[in-house]
Amino acid sequence: MKPFEPGLVHAPVTPFKRDQSVDYATYAKIIEFHLRNGAEALALPMPEGEDMSLRDGELRELLEFAVKQVRGRVPVLAHVSDAGTSIAVERAVHAEKTGAAAVLSHPPYFWHPRPAMVVEHLARIGTAVKLPFYVCSPPVESAGTELTSDMVMQLIERVPNLAGVVDASLDFVFMEEVISGGRRLRPGFQLLAGRDYLVSAAALGGNGAIVPLAGIAPTLLQRVYDLCRQQKFMEARGMQEDVAHLHHLVREAGASGLKDGLAGIKCAMAMMGRECGVPRPPVRPLGEVERGRFEEAAQALAFLKAEPRGW
Amino acid sequence: MLMPIRLKGVMQAPVSPMKDDFSFDGEGFAKMVDFHVRHGAPAIAWPHHKAESLNLTIAERKLGAEIAVTTVAKRVPVSIFVGTLSEEDSLDLACHAQKIGADAILTISPYCRRPAQEEIFDSIVRIATTVELPVLTYNSPWRNGEGVEFTGELTRRLIDRLPNYIGMKDASFHSQKYLEISRVALNMRPGFAIIMGVEHLLASYPLGACGSFSSSGAIAPNLCNKFFAALEAHDWETARECQFKISELWRLFKEQYPSSLKGAMIMMGRPVGPTRSPLPTASKERLEFLCKRLEELDILQTEPHGW
Repeated sequence: MKPFEPGLVHAPVTPFKRDQSVDYATYAKIIEFHLRNGAEALALPMPEGEDMSLRDGELRELLEFAVKQVRGRVPVLAHVSDAGTSIAVERAVHAEKTGAAAVLSHPPYFWHPRPAMVVEHLARIGTAVKLPFYVCSPPVESAGTELTSDMVMQLIERVPNLAGVVDASLDFVFMEEVISGGRRLRPGFQLLAGRDYLVSAAALGGNGAIVPLAGIAPTLLQRVYDLCRQQKFMEARGMQEDVAHLHHLVREAGASGLKDGLAGIKCAMAMMGRECGVPRPPVRPLGEVERGRFEEAAQALAFLKAEPRGW
Repeated sequence: MLMPIRLKGVMQAPVSPMKDDFSFDGEGFAKMVDFHVRHGAPAIAWPHHKAESLNLTIAERKLGAEIAVTTVAKRVPVSIFVGTLSEEDSLDLACHAQKIGADAILTISPYCRRPAQEEIFDSIVRIATTVELPVLTYNSPWRNGEGVEFTGELTRRLIDRLPNYIGMKDASFHSQKYLEISRVALNMRPGFAIIMGVEHLLASYPLGACGSFSSSGAIAPNLCNKFFAALEAHDWETARECQFKISELWRLFKEQYPSSLKGAMIMMGRPVGPTRSPLPTASKERLEFLCKRLEELDILQTEPHGW
């Protein structure tokens, strides 16, 4: 049997109504937009889908809704990260029952346990399911615990269904060590590029990508991905620079100390004619002046003209 | 008028040989530099951290710079690193490098201060307007937000301000940070040299990096040259093989850098003496471990021995 490889994975945002409830009518439109615009799989709710702002019941309901809406057209990857091990384990079990194709988890949120406990946390989540399991490396600026390549090697030994790493560290050294070391222990071990930076990971031999900016610029990301798949890394440079430019604008907008980009993504979605509301508190939406500045900068990006407008 | 220089490939940054009494071994250093040039180094860069730069006196750094320039004798470009704890020393070293005929300087705002972007800007402008030499800067962001970070915006302002600003040594090893600099610099100043601090080149070469300052070249120059040739030929399969092997070497050497590297040089028939305190000198047990790993990695068998 061919091992599961998710390919180009879109990470949808989660829309909220003014009363802070999840806006499922819009969520359905978002999912359909991604499926029409190149998603080979969906991962949800990733950090850009405000997973941390959703309550446990909402996370389950959101996944159930997405699986029903997708109706098997593409695999749905369930992101189950939490602070407590048992909470994340139960969420993973629920994801498997619901029909997710794979389970993703970060190291525990908030706590900074010793490496052995981080490995324990992730191993318990992974071994609670039979689905392919991916561990996510957090961004370097995140407040959470780091995922090191040594931890990944230990997890490969302990978790038979560990399929790979989703890399948001963007760290060349980590990627090199995970790909070369991981495949020595488990042939076919995968590295999925996280956060829209595809070229470096693919040149090193990575397998696919999870792209949170696909709600804004699916055409551009598709083109970078296609070039990477054909090993045309040199040719992908200009477009990867464009992606980096968009990423920069999104991150720099908003008040987040971590530059999480949540306010920027939703502002850009609206600008592209896909209104998804604003992030849940405590994330502050862009004020009027910031929004004006953001839109002016984004409208100067020539490549956005080739992107779909509206739903 | 500035002599244009072209920096590309895996450029070698020699270690600083020491005698048993820990004094700087000038003769040994000349041999080290010559070894690199004869084994295909496209440029020589000294004294980087690997050369224990901060544990050398300013007088030793000047002496070494003179030996490097004389020994290389124009066969390849020589860049002199002028980063120190005190900006006054950096300025002095930069002027000295120009006087003795070096081809470029590499500089950074003084360490250990968490300088603001404005402070880094002022530092670089001060040094780069004092000399006429081509100037490279050193991006060294640390994980916890310390270090000296060149953002895309700072790079843009420096390129705008300084006609002799020709490149960046990038030690971020990070897709986003790399692209913040490269997308700005390569578009403003085509030919701007982005040089990786260690040869993490497979991730960066397709994005416009022109080469690296080598970590492992003192041990494995053949591997370095094979790696860069594979990148230039877009032979990604061979490049991956080389990158992963270099990555393994880096894992061996990075702790207490350059103690293990200097230790491993004994096995290659190029002893360069001890490492100055507070860094340790590799122990006997460490040497045995290194020897075993170098054999497993096929380095002992495929790389040059002796000088």
